[in-house]
Amino acid sequence: MRRGPTMTARIGSYGVLGVVGAITVLPLLYMGALSLQTEAETLSANPVLWPETPQFGNYAELFERAPFGNFIINSIVVTGGITVAHLVFDPLVGYVFAKFRFPLRNTLFIALLTTLMMPLFVRMIPLYVMMSNLGWLNSYQALIVPFLMDAFGIFLMRQFIQPIPDDLIQAARIDGASELRIYARVILPQVKPALAVLGLFTFVFQWNEFLWPLVATTTEDMRTIPVGLTLFNQEYFTLWHLTAAGSVILFVPTVLLFLFSQRYFVRGITLSGLK
Amino acid sequence: MRQLTTGPPRRRRLRGPLAVFAPSLNRRYVLTAYAFLIPAFAFFGLMFYLPIANIITNSFNTGPQANQFAGLENYTRAFEDASVQNSFTVTFIFGAATTIGAIVIGLALALLLNQPLRGRVVFRAALLVPYLTSVAIVGLLWRNILDPQLGILNRLLMDLGLPTQSWLNTHPLATIIAVTLWMTVGYTMVLFLAGLQGIPEQYHEAATVDGASPWQRFWRITLPLLAPTTLFVSVMAVISGLQAFGQAYIITGGGPANATDLYIFHVFNVAFTSRDFGYASALSFLLFIVIVIFTVIQLRVGRRNEVQY
Amino acid sequence: MAIHTPTRRDLLRWTGGGALAGLAAPLLGSCAGAPEEDSGSTSGGDDGGGSGGDFTVYWNAGHAYAAYDKVIAEFEEAHGVTVSFQKYQWDDLRTRLLSDFASGTVPDLVEEPGGWVQEFAISGDAVSLQQYVDSDGAEMGFPDDWQPRTISRNSYEGEVYGIQLHLTCMMLLYNRGMFDSAGVQPPTDWGSFLDVAEKLTGDGVHGFAMNQDDGYGWPWLLQNGVRYYDPDTKGLLVPHDAAAAALQFQADMAHKHGVSPVPTPGTDYSGPQKLLSAGRAAMIITGPWDLLPIAETSPDLDLGIAPALHEAEQSTVQAGTSLFVPAKAKSPDLAWDFIKRITALEVEVAATKEAGMLMPRLSWVQDPVVQENERYAAFAEGFAYAVDTSEKLRLTGKSGEINEQLFQTLYQDVVMNNTPATEALDRFLAAGQKVLAS
Repeated sequence: MRRGPTMTARIGSYGVLGVVGAITVLPLLYMGALSLQTEAETLSANPVLWPETPQFGNYAELFERAPFGNFIINSIVVTGGITVAHLVFDPLVGYVFAKFRFPLRNTLFIALLTTLMMPLFVRMIPLYVMMSNLGWLNSYQALIVPFLMDAFGIFLMRQFIQPIPDDLIQAARIDGASELRIYARVILPQVKPALAVLGLFTFVFQWNEFLWPLVATTTEDMRTIPVGLTLFNQEYFTLWHLTAAGSVILFVPTVLLFLFSQRYFVRGITLSGLK
Repeated sequence: MRQLTTGPPRRRRLRGPLAVFAPSLNRRYVLTAYAFLIPAFAFFGLMFYLPIANIITNSFNTGPQANQFAGLENYTRAFEDASVQNSFTVTFIFGAATTIGAIVIGLALALLLNQPLRGRVVFRAALLVPYLTSVAIVGLLWRNILDPQLGILNRLLMDLGLPTQSWLNTHPLATIIAVTLWMTVGYTMVLFLAGLQGIPEQYHEAATVDGASPWQRFWRITLPLLAPTTLFVSVMAVISGLQAFGQAYIITGGGPANATDLYIFHVFNVAFTSRDFGYASALSFLLFIVIVIFTVIQLRVGRRNEVQY
Repeated sequence: MAIHTPTRRDLLRWTGGGALAGLAAPLLGSCAGAPEEDSGSTSGGDDGGGSGGDFTVYWNAGHAYAAYDKVIAEFEEAHGVTVSFQKYQWDDLRTRLLSDFASGTVPDLVEEPGGWVQEFAISGDAVSLQQYVDSDGAEMGFPDDWQPRTISRNSYEGEVYGIQLHLTCMMLLYNRGMFDSAGVQPPTDWGSFLDVAEKLTGDGVHGFAMNQDDGYGWPWLLQNGVRYYDPDTKGLLVPHDAAAAALQFQADMAHKHGVSPVPTPGTDYSGPQKLLSAGRAAMIITGPWDLLPIAETSPDLDLGIAPALHEAEQSTVQAGTSLFVPAKAKSPDLAWDFIKRITALEVEVAATKEAGMLMPRLSWVQDPVVQENERYAAFAEGFAYAVDTSEKLRLTGKSGEINEQLFQTLYQDVVMNNTPATEALDRFLAAGQKVLAS
C-alpha cells in the first residue's frame, strides 16, 4: 500500500492545483455569465461580470432564430458515429503496430503519421470534389466517412498497447486463441483507460470541428452546432449573448462525456482503494 | 514473471516474450498484420494520400484554378518570400513554446493529481475543461477578456487599482502561446495521468524500500516508464503546434504587423484570400516536409528510450 | 457539347461503380483544375447544388431581412422553385464559394461584400449580366437609377458582372452632447479635427477612437489625395509622401497626441463603436452598420453625423454589397429575375425601414423614409464623394495579397507599433511592386 503525501506536500499540491484550476475555470464561468446577459450588456464598452437579471430567454432565442434542434441532432449523429468508428478501428491498427513485426513496419508507421501533417483546409477542396462526385454532399456520409479513423488514435493506442507484456499474448496463442480473440480478450481489457481517453478526445475534436461541416453541408438543416453558431453573427458585430449561449450548449455534452469517462482513465487509483 | 529492480528493466533482444516473433512463426504474423493493415491503408489512401497527391500536383501549378503549369516557381518564390520566412519563425517559436510548455506543465499537474488527494476528481475536471471547448470559442472568449479598452480583465484590474494590460499589443505572440497552453495543458495532463496509471505500483514500492528519494524515483522510474506517453505527447504537440491556426484566425488576425502570423494561417490566406492555390499547396508541402523531419527525429530518439518488458 | 454523350455521372449511375470512379475523379480532374462539368446537358444534378426545383442563394448572415423573405416567397411562387437561402459570414462564404468553384457545383446567386465581382469576372467564375442589362435595364432603372459610382466597380471590360445591392460609406460619427458641453463644432479638416479631439480628450474619454481594421484607415489616405494604384505609372499608394503623411497622422493621434487609444489587433470592427456608445470616445469614423448597435446599447446618446473631412480633397470610403451569378450556375435567367425583384425600390425602402440598411438607388435617396431620417440622409450625402479604394488595383488581379496582407501589415506597423510611416511604407512598396511584377 502506497502512503499518502506529507502534510506540506499536500498543502503545496492543493495550492498549485487551486490556482491553476481557478485560471482554467474562471474564464469559462465568464462565458456562462455572458450567455445570461442582455444584448446591450454584452455589446457595452463597460463590460459587466454578472447580468442585472439573468436572461435565460437567450437559450430559447437560439431555437427561435435557427433550427438549433437540427444542429444538435446533426452534431450528435456525426460525432457519435465518428467516435464509435474510432473506438473500433484505431485500437485494432494500433495493436498491429505495437505487437507485430513485419517488413516496412516503421516506414508504414511514419506514412501513417504523415496523414496528420496536412491541415484539413488544404485537403478540403480535393475531398469536397470527391464527395461531390459521389453525390454525398449534404449527407451524413460526407460528414462521417472521411473521419472513420485517424493516425492520432492509432498512435495513441499503439503507445498504450506497447507496454502490455508479450507473455500474455504468447500464453493466449499457446492456448490456441485466434488473433481477433486475443485482441478482444487480452489486449482491450488492458487498455481501458486509453480507450476512454481516445473516445473522449475524438468526440471533443469532432464535436468542435468547423471547416468540413461548413463546406460539406449545403442546407441549413444539415449544419452542425459550430457551423450553425455563425448564423448569430451580424456583418460587423457578434451577438455575444447568443454566441455565448450556443457555446455553453456546445460545451455541456463534452463535459458530461468527460465526467462519465474520467473514472475509466483513473482506474488504477480507484483500484488501490483510495478515493 | 518479471524481476523487480530499482531501475526499469532493460530492453531484451529476441529473448523471452519476443521469441514469439522467431522466424518459424514469422510468416503467419506478417500475413495477419497485413490483413489488418490493408483496409486501413485503403481508407487513408482515398481520404488522405489521394488529396495529398493532388496538393503536390497543384504545387507545380498557378492561377486561380491552379491549372497552369509553373514548374518550380512556387517553391523558389517561397524561399524568397519575406512574409513566409517571418511566419515560419513565428510558428517555430510558437510550436516550441507550446510543446515544451504542454509537456512540462502537463506532466507536473499529472504528478500532482496522481497523488491520493481528496477532491482530485474536481481538480482533474477543472484542468481539462478548457480543452473540451473549441479553439474558436476559446479565441473569442480570450479576445473578449483581454481587449485593453473593452475587456473584462482591465475592468477588474482598474477596479482593484492595479495597472492595466495591453498584452495583445505589447506581447502578442506570448499571449497566444499562453492562451494555447491554457487550453492544452489539461489535455496533456490527462494523457500523462493515463500513462502513470500503467506504471506498476511494485516499481515504486521496491524503489522506496531501496531508499530512493522521490526525485530519484521520478528520474529513474517514472520518466523512463512514461516514455511511450511522452513520445506520443511530444510528437502530437509538434504536429499540432506547427499547424496551429485558430489562435491567429480568431484572436489576433495575425497582427500586429504579422507578429502572430502563424504559418498555416498565412497559407490559409494565400489559398482563400489571395486565391493562389498553387502557392498555398507548395507552402503546405514545405511545412509537411519539415514536420515529417521533426517527427522522424522524435521517433528515432523515442525508440531508443522505449522500454519493453 | 450538342450531342448527349454519357457523362461521368451517368456512367456512375449505370455501372453502379460510382464509389470507385467518384473517388478517383478528383485526382484525374486536378490537372484541369475544376473537373469539367456536365455542360448543363442533363437535367441531372440530383446531388450537390440542388435538383431541378432548387434555387440556391448565398447571403450574408447579417442581411437576412424580413423584407427579403417576402421577396423570396413571391419568387418561389412565381417560378415554382424552392429557394435554398444559405446564410454565412463573409469569410466562411468565401471559403465555401471557392470550394464550389473548384468542384463545379455552384450556387445560383451570390451576395458579395465588394470587390469579388471583378475578381471573379477576371477569373471567369462570374457570368456577364450585360445581355440582361441591355434588355431589361431601362425597365428596372439600371444603370440610370443607381448611384453612378456603383457601376464601374461591378464592371469588367465594359460589361456589367454585378448589381449593387446595398451601398454604404464611412462618415464621422460624434457625441453631440460632448461637443456642446465643450463648446466645439464638428471639424472640417485635419487641423480642426485634431484640435477638437484634443479638447475632448481627458477623464476616461478619448477624442477619437481608431479602428484596428486597416480599411478604416482609408478615409485619411483618400482625403490626402492618395490613390491605391495608378494604372499609368503602375505605382502603389501614390503620391507616396501624402500616403506616409496620412498614416503618420493616424499613428500620432495614438502615440503622440494621445487623443485615441492604440487599437488592438483582432478580427472585430466594433471596438470604436462600443467606446462611442459608452461615452468613452467622442468621435469615430464608421459606416451605417454601427447605427443599430449604438441605438440598442445607448438609446439616449445624441448622435451627430458630420460630412467627411476636407484636407487635400473631401473624400471617404465607399462600401456595400453586390449580387453576381456564378459562371456555372444552372439558371442565370432565374437569377436575373431574383436580382430585379430584390433591388426594386419598395424592397430597398422596406429593408431600410426594417434594418437601417442604405441602398444604391438614386430614387431611394429621394424617398421620404430616407429624407425624414437625418442619419440616413447624412450618409446618403457621402455617396457623392465616396470612393471604392481598391477598384483599380483589383483589375490588376493582384489585389488579394496587396490589399489583405501587405496593406494590413503597413497599417498595423504604423498605427499599432508606431513604426515611422516612411519606413513602413518603403517596405510595403518594395513588397507590393514585387507582387505586381510577378
